Amino acid sequence: MSTPKNITHLNIGEHAFIAAFSNGFIACKLMAMGLLPGSEIILVRKAPFGGACYIRAKQHYVVLRNKEAEHVILDSEVSK
Amino acid sequence: MYPDLDMTQTKKIALLGNPNSGKSSLFNQLTGLRQKVGNFPGVTVERKSGYAKLKEDTEVLIVDLPGTYSLYPTSADERIAVNALLDKGNKDYPDLIIYIADVTNLERHLLLLTQVVDLGFPLLVALNMNDVAEEQHLQCDAIKLSEELNLEVVKINGRTGAGLEVLKEKISQLLSQDQWERVSDFYTLIPQEQMIVEEVRHLLPTRNDYHALLLVHHLSWLGFLTEDEKQNIQNIRDKHAFHPINNQLDEIMNRYKKFSPILPRILNRSYTTAKTLTDKVDAVLTHKIIGPFIFFMLMFFVFQAIFSWSALPMDYIDESFAMLSVSLQRALPVNLFTRLLTEGLIPGISGILVFVPQITILFLLITLLEEVGYMSRAVFMFDSIMQKFGLNGRSIVSLISGGACAIPAIMSTRTISNWKERLTTIMVTPLISCSARIPVFAILIGFVMPSYKIGFFNAQGLVFMGLYLFGVVAALTAAFVFKKVLKTEEYSFLMLELPEYRQPHWKNVFYTVYDKVRSFVFGAGKIILIISLILWFLASFGPPKMMKMASDVATIESSLLHYDAQQTALYVASKKLEFSYAGYAGRFIEPVIKPLGFDWKIGIALITSFAAREVFVGTISTLYSIGRDADNLTIRQKLQQEKNNEGKPVFTSAVSLSLILFYLLAMQCMSTLATVYRETRSWKWPAIQFVYMTGAAYLVSLLVYQLLK
Repeated sequence: MSTPKNITHLNIGEHAFIAAFSNGFIACKLMAMGLLPGSEIILVRKAPFGGACYIRAKQHYVVLRNKEAEHVILDSEVSK
Repeated sequence: MYPDLDMTQTKKIALLGNPNSGKSSLFNQLTGLRQKVGNFPGVTVERKSGYAKLKEDTEVLIVDLPGTYSLYPTSADERIAVNALLDKGNKDYPDLIIYIADVTNLERHLLLLTQVVDLGFPLLVALNMNDVAEEQHLQCDAIKLSEELNLEVVKINGRTGAGLEVLKEKISQLLSQDQWERVSDFYTLIPQEQMIVEEVRHLLPTRNDYHALLLVHHLSWLGFLTEDEKQNIQNIRDKHAFHPINNQLDEIMNRYKKFSPILPRILNRSYTTAKTLTDKVDAVLTHKIIGPFIFFMLMFFVFQAIFSWSALPMDYIDESFAMLSVSLQRALPVNLFTRLLTEGLIPGISGILVFVPQITILFLLITLLEEVGYMSRAVFMFDSIMQKFGLNGRSIVSLISGGACAIPAIMSTRTISNWKERLTTIMVTPLISCSARIPVFAILIGFVMPSYKIGFFNAQGLVFMGLYLFGVVAALTAAFVFKKVLKTEEYSFLMLELPEYRQPHWKNVFYTVYDKVRSFVFGAGKIILIISLILWFLASFGPPKMMKMASDVATIESSLLHYDAQQTALYVASKKLEFSYAGYAGRFIEPVIKPLGFDWKIGIALITSFAAREVFVGTISTLYSIGRDADNLTIRQKLQQEKNNEGKPVFTSAVSLSLILFYLLAMQCMSTLATVYRETRSWKWPAIQFVYMTGAAYLVSLLVYQLLK
């Protein structure tokens, strides 16, 4: 089994759904910012000099570093 | 019910909401120009407050709390907001909260709302961004929302002020009620929390269970708890094996579960998936190659604008004051007061006002970039580069604002949650050339580079740009050194929301720029003026015996040299200056600064500049106007004519460049040092900052002068 898919695995323009978070602190922060398990996200862009991802979820735009994005586990469809 | 007439206590109303919810706009609408920007006690996070009139006879104090996503803060500024709500003794502890929620992002905005409701504050909801929602064909049933939440909900428009009257009306109603009866029921404590909270509530007074729970979560950084209280709460935490992150996670999940079902009942749809303006603009502005290119073009434009747009008004101010001095000198009798006025006070005031055009332009452009939402894109683009230098993407905002003034720039580091990154940003930001250096550069640049056009560009503007770049390189180099020296285990993160692009709200821009310029004129200006006056005194007076001797000797020498009356007067004046108090101080440090190419007069300017750099111009103009026939020469021309003992010009290109670089690198700003002290809560960091910056300045100036002379 390969490692579960996370945001850094997405191609630009690819959609996915947040399945879970693998870090409590990051989970709390992102959920407070409106990114919840089940939220649909799309990878908009990667930073010009690397290191960070720019995602759009619903009506908001969030950037996170790759090492943070790795903790956002994705699913290709809504599970629950 | 009429408000008790004896009640002198003004009611305090806090504005609370997520970042980018439009709080500042509403704040400006409510208070207008009656606002005061200060600092939250103990920290330098900007605290905006102001009075608002509700009815004929009721005034309330509005406090704009820093934006936060939840009552679990992750940065210093968010902590301010939470602290104000948890500490009953806090000067910003509100009687009522206006919660600002963005309709277009309602779900997320409800999280903090339910937390504050559970904290038991009287509260009403101001529903903002209705105009944006309308553009997106998003409809929100405010009445239904009000019923679902069991709270007053008012639709407002922070930009136009629509809905404000209704809002004020509702505030008055709520304030006149004796009791807030809304039950706090969004979150039910789990059994473990219940047990902990019960024990804590025996220990100290709390508003309710949720308040106690938050104290348990945040005890490590809450300043108002005593060490004993902290220890006791910690013991309770340990006893019950309390795990803050797990509990926080569960709480947030439970809240969403509770209020998310409300949303479909009040909104006509959840959100739009269509490409928005933001998507389209960001396709260009954050593009891999075009994005950084545009960023540098923008910065280039900003600095060209500062240089070229301000030239005319600056000349005008400069010349008007020179003329004023001359005409007053002619009109008034020759006495000490006239001298104080025309040689001390007027040049001093002129030295302050002459910066106003440049500061205004710089703050205007930076505020615009912030207001439209561009700054956070720069954070995203440069985070990885910043990290290589031990900084955070957010540091770029501080570094750019450092181009205006290091003080607000250092304050803005509060959004960087990692202490090491924040400290490094604080330590290197003053190396970015601030507006106070502009006049120093502007006066001296002419001695380094003559004024002409290279194609479309102003040659001096290019040198100017080069100086700014040198400051940036110096800041990054210093940051790299700090990265190697400082150690930390603390977690560093970015997780940042990019606000949607918006048209700048001109009122907000106006208030911000007005406030910054005003605080420069009255804050920094006061220091500059006082120092100019002290300086005039020190340069005009000296130990009486020595002054008399200098004057007598100079008179005799002049007659031996067959000087005419005018030459004698000049010679006597310069000898007197040499033996004035200022002359003593300048000559005292001359041996140290001689290798840099500076004479004792520049020495005096250096000494006074340690209070604030901008004093340089005032000092120089005071020093060189003393003992002169009043004429309307501007400072630049005076400096050009200044000769040393051998009759050679003092301000050669080597001396000027050495001086420019000294001002670029040295730590010469008491206000910045004081701000660094307040931010770091230790004199250690400002001391280190002073030594490393001034040391670097000395070495670089030494090198440049010795190579070029």
